[in-house]
Amino acid sequence: MKNLPLQRRTLALIAVIVPLLGLLVYVALRSGPLAPVAVTEARVESRAIHPALFGVGTVEARYTYKIGPTFAGRVQRLDVHVGDRAKAGQVLGEMDPVDLDDRVRSQEAALKRAEAAIREASARHAYAQSQARRYEQLFAARSVSEEAVITKRQELAIAEAALAGVKEELVRARSDRDALVAQRSNLRLVAPVDGVVILRDADPGTTIVAGQSVVELIDPQSLWINVRFDQVSASGLAADLPATIVLRSRHGRSLKGRVLRVELMADAVTEETLAKVIFDEIPSPLPPLGELAEVTIDLPALAAAPVIPNAAVQRLGNQTGVWQITNGEPEFIPVTLGRSDLDGHVQVLDGLNDGERIVLYSEKALGAHSRIHVVERIPGVVP
Amino acid sequence: MVSKGIRIEGLKKRYGSGDTAVDALKGVDMYVEPGEVVGLIGPSGSGKSTLLKCLGAVINPTAGRMTLGDEVIYDEGWKVPDLRALRRDKIGFVFQAPYLIPFLDVTDNVALLPMLAGVANGEARKRALDLLTALDVQQRARAMPSQLSGGEQQRVAIARGLVNRPPVILADEPTAPLDSERAMAVIRILNDMARKYETAIIVVTHDEKIIPTFKRIYHIRDGVTHEEVGEGRGFE
Amino acid sequence: MISLAGRDILHAWGKFVFTGFGLGLLIGVTLTMAGVYRGMVDDGKALLDNSGADMWVVQKDTLGPYAESSSLNGDLYRAILAMPGVASAVNVTYLTTQVRKGERDVRSMVVGIVPGGTGATPGWPPYLVAGRQITRGHYEAVADIATGFQLGDRLQIRRNQYTVVGLTRRMVSSSGDPMVFIPLKDAQEAQFLKDNDAIWQSRRRTEANPAFNRPGVPGLLDAIIASQSTNNYVNAVLVRLKAGAVPDEVASSIQRWKRLTVYTRAQMEEILIGKLIATSSKQIGMFLVILAIVSAAIVAFIIYTLTMDKIREIAVLKLIGTRNRTIAAMIMQQALALGLIGFAVGKITATFAAPLFPKYVLLQPQDSIAGFFAVLVICALASVIAIRMALKVDPAEAIGG
Repeated sequence: MKNLPLQRRTLALIAVIVPLLGLLVYVALRSGPLAPVAVTEARVESRAIHPALFGVGTVEARYTYKIGPTFAGRVQRLDVHVGDRAKAGQVLGEMDPVDLDDRVRSQEAALKRAEAAIREASARHAYAQSQARRYEQLFAARSVSEEAVITKRQELAIAEAALAGVKEELVRARSDRDALVAQRSNLRLVAPVDGVVILRDADPGTTIVAGQSVVELIDPQSLWINVRFDQVSASGLAADLPATIVLRSRHGRSLKGRVLRVELMADAVTEETLAKVIFDEIPSPLPPLGELAEVTIDLPALAAAPVIPNAAVQRLGNQTGVWQITNGEPEFIPVTLGRSDLDGHVQVLDGLNDGERIVLYSEKALGAHSRIHVVERIPGVVP
Repeated sequence: MVSKGIRIEGLKKRYGSGDTAVDALKGVDMYVEPGEVVGLIGPSGSGKSTLLKCLGAVINPTAGRMTLGDEVIYDEGWKVPDLRALRRDKIGFVFQAPYLIPFLDVTDNVALLPMLAGVANGEARKRALDLLTALDVQQRARAMPSQLSGGEQQRVAIARGLVNRPPVILADEPTAPLDSERAMAVIRILNDMARKYETAIIVVTHDEKIIPTFKRIYHIRDGVTHEEVGEGRGFE
Repeated sequence: MISLAGRDILHAWGKFVFTGFGLGLLIGVTLTMAGVYRGMVDDGKALLDNSGADMWVVQKDTLGPYAESSSLNGDLYRAILAMPGVASAVNVTYLTTQVRKGERDVRSMVVGIVPGGTGATPGWPPYLVAGRQITRGHYEAVADIATGFQLGDRLQIRRNQYTVVGLTRRMVSSSGDPMVFIPLKDAQEAQFLKDNDAIWQSRRRTEANPAFNRPGVPGLLDAIIASQSTNNYVNAVLVRLKAGAVPDEVASSIQRWKRLTVYTRAQMEEILIGKLIATSSKQIGMFLVILAIVSAAIVAFIIYTLTMDKIREIAVLKLIGTRNRTIAAMIMQQALALGLIGFAVGKITATFAAPLFPKYVLLQPQDSIAGFFAVLVICALASVIAIRMALKVDPAEAIGG
């Protein structure tokens, strides 16, 4: 004797309550801490990996010539600007000679005076010589006294000495003059090699000290990259390895090069190994000095070995290893790892075999008793 | 123990005490035989409601004696331990307004009483349906009270009053909301039920339409009752 | 006997369900608040777990790299590595900054990790959800998916650009900022080198200082500027102990020897949860109490109103002989039913709303169970008022004057 409206209403309410309960149970079991952890799997593959080294360096010139005067003075003129090409021996500029020219002139005058003094001394010497000879002849003929001869001999000696002295004076004057001329020529700033002017450190009128550079010159063919590699990831770095260079301002264009040498002095503070990498072909336009470059050195491929992605490497306690799913439950397998490449592939030396499946990504940290279920992709990640 | 018919002797009820005391009932004598339907007529303030409440065991009289058949239920104090059970089993109520439980359907409204008394649900509903049929509302057995007309609701209320077959039924203005045809129908039903189940029925009313039907009438004024013989007319 | 409570609910089911939903949202908010607190504590624990360290070595007398800034020289780790019981000692830097991608920037904690390692190295993200770990010594990054970045995105952190090569999940700082892992040297540069304007100004200041700019010593100025531009400081050294080493012993020997401060895992947890989160957790605790009181009041009010609506029927029921117990049970059952609907709605809303919150919301089963019983108790207690009301009703009122 069931009352129909009641039954209909009861059914309607059940239609609301039961899904609500169902939802409640679903929510309790599938979300929050009780929910199973989503994981993805990967297979251990046997392949030959191509390790590579990655470092960041700056473009530098191998030889930088800093051209400046050898003593303090003022810059008189500079004939070149930054970017100008210069030939070896070309005069790039000049320091202000101040009184040097006058001193050279005075020295030349002294030189001339010394020459004149020589002429004078020569004349006296010739006269004294002829006098001495004559008096010798006269002495031999007993026409003059011995004293007179001796006097003339002495005059001859004096005249010889004077002549010698004046000759040395000439040498001295000449040397002084040469020295001043050399100084004068040093005031000229001369390019030692063919190159490009990269810096004008002082403009005309500036007073500078000895040793300060006025113009800096580089040989554009001698550009290299001074690269730093983290010591931890620098194993295998050696000269002549091929390199790929990406300049910071030319992202996307990779240039070819090779390692010129590995520096013997590493940086102990930053724990980096330094190396010099040169371009196979100098890019044009020239990259500015100091520009950053990313350098990747390709090392020779290693022999094929079981390889896993580095995202699968995890830690349990003090052991390094991976998780494997056995009978639906996660199991930790300790492994020994070998070399890796820049794409994240790591060799497995011990612990796994080719073809085994391991856990790659997981939503949460796994434990030996975690409930897991395998998915294609962790929820929340856009392909 | 036979509990049919009701007899009241010297019933008194005083409200309050001391100077502010009010004597609502000053010694009421009344009796109703099993199968009899008597009228109780009186103006407001006459103690009508108080008398009903005493009879209905919802208030405590101050003095007097009440007997249900052979069973003394009140003699200067209640003689039954559970007044609620008394109301449930021995006294039926029919009110001015139907007072049906709005969230139970018609059948369950009536069947509730036997269920409260411990009767099995199926048996209770069967009894309810029998009464509803007798009152000619069985076609509304599964409707909710709000879907019934006033007259139908009143009949359901009467069914509820009768379903436990109490020996006494107190009806308080049962025909007030009804028209004369319906009112007559109600009085006829009450008389039928009284005869059939030997129930003593007291009808409080001032409805001119039904007063002539009573064979005996009690007038109550100032807390006392006077018996009077009624016209005893039939029901048209 | 039929169930009066059940019939009443069926009859006024719309009202019940509607009220239940409203109550449910309130309960959902309460559960979410508890989840926010748990999430904060979990953030702290996740930070410590994911760092993979057993001990943290920080600047002397500071509260460690997370709660306070700490600065150590970058070569201290070598000395620590030599101490007994230490299996590995690794430098790490932490910097909270804006990480930009295109027009958008995200506040993140940028972690500088020593390259050449794997997920097994302290400081490294222990597990990934996509991509790979960092292999190059510069310009690569692993980001947490909470940043919204995807594989292949180019990020801008301070002066450099980084390519996202891997993604992680639940790598967050103690304040809920997602982490981005970059090589240590880049991170040191990010922490130290300012924007170009500031660098240029600092160079000018150095040039203007006659002590540094001596004409007779060419090269002095360049050397000074170079030294000002390098930074070999790190924020902490993460230490992992050998099997069998006792953390407190190793910690105290490092502290005695090296004039540094060392925290074990337990001490770090206390610092993070005790100091960093303490204020927030008090706030949330107060919120929870307020919400519980409000919920109780609302349930009480609703049940009271529902009962008051039925007061005439209750009087009739009492008059026709219904036991007080039955009436009380009807009211209590209605209150509990309301509580059940409310809890179900609340738990479901909380679960679906939790991922939408900017911070991590952790809904733990024990919180839900405690909440369930609390809701039932609150409903039962709140119904007491209505029950008292109902029991006081005089059945005589059903009989009119």
